[in-house]
Amino acid sequence: MISNASVVIIGGGIIGTSIAFNLAKLGVKDISVFEKSYISSGSTGRCGGGIRQQWTSPMNVRLAMRSVELFRRFREDIGMDIEYHEGGYLLLAYSDEEMGEFESNVKMQNQEGLSVQLVSPGEIKEKFPFMNLERVVGGTWCPSDSHANPQIANIAYAIAIKRMGVDLNTHTAVDGIDIQNGEIVGVQTDKGYVKTNTVINAAGGFSHEVGLMANMDIPTHSERHQILVTESINHVLEPMVISFKKNYYVRQTMHGSFVMGQSDKKPAQGNDLGHSVEFLEEMAPKMVHDFPFMTHLHIVRQWSGAYNISPDAQPIIDTAESISRYIFAVGFSGHGFMLAPAAGEAVAEMVVYGRSKTMDVSNLNMRRFKRQIKSEKNVV
Amino acid sequence: MKFYETIVIGSGPAGMVGATILGQHGVKTLLLDENDFIGGQLVKQTHKFFGDHAHYASLRGFEIAQKLQDGISSNSNVEVENAATVMGIYPNNTVTYIQNGKKCKAYGKKLLITTGAMEKQLPFVNSDLPGVYGAGAIQTLMNEYGIMPGSRFMIIGSGNIGLILAYQLIQAGAKVRAIVEALGKIGGYAVHANKIKRLGVPILLNHTIVKAIGDKSVSGAVIAEIDDKFKPITGTERELVVDTIAISVGLTPLTELSEQAGCKVEFIPELGGYVPIRNERMKTTNPDVFIAGDLASIEEATTAMIEGKIASLEMVQELTGKDLEKEIENEITILALFRSGPKSVKIRSGLEKMGIKNLAISKPRINEPKEDIVGKLRAVLECDEEIPCNSCEVSCPFGAIYIGENLNSTPVLDPDKCTGCGTCVNACPGLAIFMLKEDVENRMALVGIPYELLPLPVKGQKMWAMNKNGDYVCDVTVERVVKYPNKTHLVYAKIPIEFSQSVRHFSFIKKESPIICRCEEVTLDEIENTIDSGITDFEELKRLTRVTMGPCGGKNCKLVVLGILSRKTGVSISNLSQGTSRPPVKPVEFSAFLKCGDDK
Repeated sequence: MISNASVVIIGGGIIGTSIAFNLAKLGVKDISVFEKSYISSGSTGRCGGGIRQQWTSPMNVRLAMRSVELFRRFREDIGMDIEYHEGGYLLLAYSDEEMGEFESNVKMQNQEGLSVQLVSPGEIKEKFPFMNLERVVGGTWCPSDSHANPQIANIAYAIAIKRMGVDLNTHTAVDGIDIQNGEIVGVQTDKGYVKTNTVINAAGGFSHEVGLMANMDIPTHSERHQILVTESINHVLEPMVISFKKNYYVRQTMHGSFVMGQSDKKPAQGNDLGHSVEFLEEMAPKMVHDFPFMTHLHIVRQWSGAYNISPDAQPIIDTAESISRYIFAVGFSGHGFMLAPAAGEAVAEMVVYGRSKTMDVSNLNMRRFKRQIKSEKNVV
Repeated sequence: MKFYETIVIGSGPAGMVGATILGQHGVKTLLLDENDFIGGQLVKQTHKFFGDHAHYASLRGFEIAQKLQDGISSNSNVEVENAATVMGIYPNNTVTYIQNGKKCKAYGKKLLITTGAMEKQLPFVNSDLPGVYGAGAIQTLMNEYGIMPGSRFMIIGSGNIGLILAYQLIQAGAKVRAIVEALGKIGGYAVHANKIKRLGVPILLNHTIVKAIGDKSVSGAVIAEIDDKFKPITGTERELVVDTIAISVGLTPLTELSEQAGCKVEFIPELGGYVPIRNERMKTTNPDVFIAGDLASIEEATTAMIEGKIASLEMVQELTGKDLEKEIENEITILALFRSGPKSVKIRSGLEKMGIKNLAISKPRINEPKEDIVGKLRAVLECDEEIPCNSCEVSCPFGAIYIGENLNSTPVLDPDKCTGCGTCVNACPGLAIFMLKEDVENRMALVGIPYELLPLPVKGQKMWAMNKNGDYVCDVTVERVVKYPNKTHLVYAKIPIEFSQSVRHFSFIKKESPIICRCEEVTLDEIENTIDSGITDFEELKRLTRVTMGPCGGKNCKLVVLGILSRKTGVSISNLSQGTSRPPVKPVEFSAFLKCGDDK
């Protein structure tokens, strides 16, 4: 642990380590990262690993498209195979109304330069004959959507930043941010004090708490999302499949296991990381119905993670108004992993150049919540 | 024609004991054996025998044979004819045998037939290929003639012979790829099975051989899982690369000579198949003919010796008029005691079918363990099956091991009396006793393990500690090697205290890295390399290598991984985090959640 840091990043998840990586790449020295547990202990290590560009908000689409560009080069840039696989995303629609929404989404996404198409049940059946498409009226298909192993990606970033000289401290909790006259002067951790004038809140599920350390009421909250993994079998399912109507997502990892989850009807609030049997009771019939081959597949493990949710389900990437050089990259609303490469790049540029250069993320600022909130709809 | 009072046919344990006793009582006896030297199966057994000390327990088979041979050669009343193949028994107790290509005839007033048994065969495709052997044939080649018939073996059958053969093969430097067993449980003694399991030999239950593969000789075997009707289950076939297949699926008594001698035989499967009908004193339906050993019922050497004793004593009594009733009754009681354990259920019911009642004697018991003294150097007894053996109790110079009246009862240690001398470890034929001394403060434990393999490790040797299934547990450095004349040596090494109940073998370090996580096929090298690359957090190590993340949820390897991490980082296992346990504890099918079992 260094005593004087140019930047302190709170949170060693995928966002924090991606920011550190991009900062180091831009030549910033003396970067400290504090992770209160181990690398990938938080939401990153608990997430489904999907990388989706098919969003309803143009900003999410852009961020995700940039991330896909960066994920494609991840092995070369960061130095590790993260089981990245462009298997596509298949979103399923169950009514003409839902299909209508899909149509307008696809139009917007196409305008953003994303190759997405509407597909009929017949076309889906042809691609994935093992699926039971009862009541499905159509869907959208984006072949460049992908998935990867979030835990390895997080650890890969961690290894890379250590190699680049970043002061990465795991099992080190931040207890407080030392602010004098509206200026940050240091950060107190349970392992010691570090002087700094710049703090980045990348605390994921704990973003609100880290906001309070600087007397800031960040409009994020955390809720529990449950997930499970099965035994591994031969590769059959290429894409991530999502049904908003039936409330599930599922993908097969490159390792062969299936990872899947849903939104609980009344999700536990905060950072409750327990698990419920109801989750299995609800997931099983859905999976067995839509993927009959899963009937005798074994569930190996269930767990949960926190979605750090913002009012419009889009990330908040901004600098605090009241405190100079307090930056937050929070509220990723369950999509932090897939947006991390682009978000890290943008935040690093904000620190170094005062604004994000590669991609304008200014509309992810905090002020947007003062206007009418236009929420991202397609969240599982 | 030569005339004798008795002729003993077959010089295995039953025949040798019988001939000895006959001779001791002044009965002129001819002992015939087809082999070049007497001893029967004993001469090819290199393992220590179970039983009690009166019947040579703790001695190796060939040593017992030597002792019995000595008893015979010093007895002038016993004439031994080797290489004498009995070709038939003709009327008037005329035993005709061929020796040196010449026919010989001998008459005995009474005959003791101890021809033993032969191995059962097993039909499978290509079972006629060179490289398919009976287990006994391999023992003969290897232990009598010093010829190794192959290098990679598969054994069919997990009875004591199959288990012992596996152990002997490994001692001789061969590889034993697997033992397949058609039944759902191991046939032989658990301690015999444990000996080879910790050397890494898998015992595949509910499995059989489908066929041998090979052109001119065996180059492999196809095995498969079988259903409850012993039919191979399609899709479970797999191939083992082996050059030798050993069949040990049981023995069948050699009844031909007894049949020719006019003894009535009956099919009693519990006793091994067709066996001569006989009474409690081993007398057959021909009052001149007695039998003993495997011919009477398929058992083991001790019961064969006792039967040989009973038969010969009764013969002496009938021939000489001496009163040996007390002695005979005593032997009958000893035999009943041997057969009173759960492993002799079949024998007891077979004897009852023949009309021989089993003596109501004390039943074996599972003795209650005494309170342990953690931190004291002491013996750890892992002999939980009721088998007829009391060599540990007898060997202990301090009376620290108790078995009780019935030698089938399980042994218990009195840690107060145990001095940590290791004599019992050395004596135990099952190699089921270990030495242990915990150092709670330093979180280490010293374990002493019986070692019968070559080369013998030396002090300071770096080795791998293996668990009861032959899986890698941790690295060790040998602290002490205690050599014993009977070649069951004791090797001591220190291990993390968490492994004191699991480490049961030390293996030389192999070039090929052992698999630590079998679900995800993660090797020791991969784990060590990942730790060396700077990943010292168990959770990160897990996520990078997938170790402990498979269907077993880390039940099998988590502690081992923590041990490796502890060794590499110097943090004791108890100070490492082992992560969070998540349901399901065992994998569950989705289908289990489709219906609710408690909504009836």
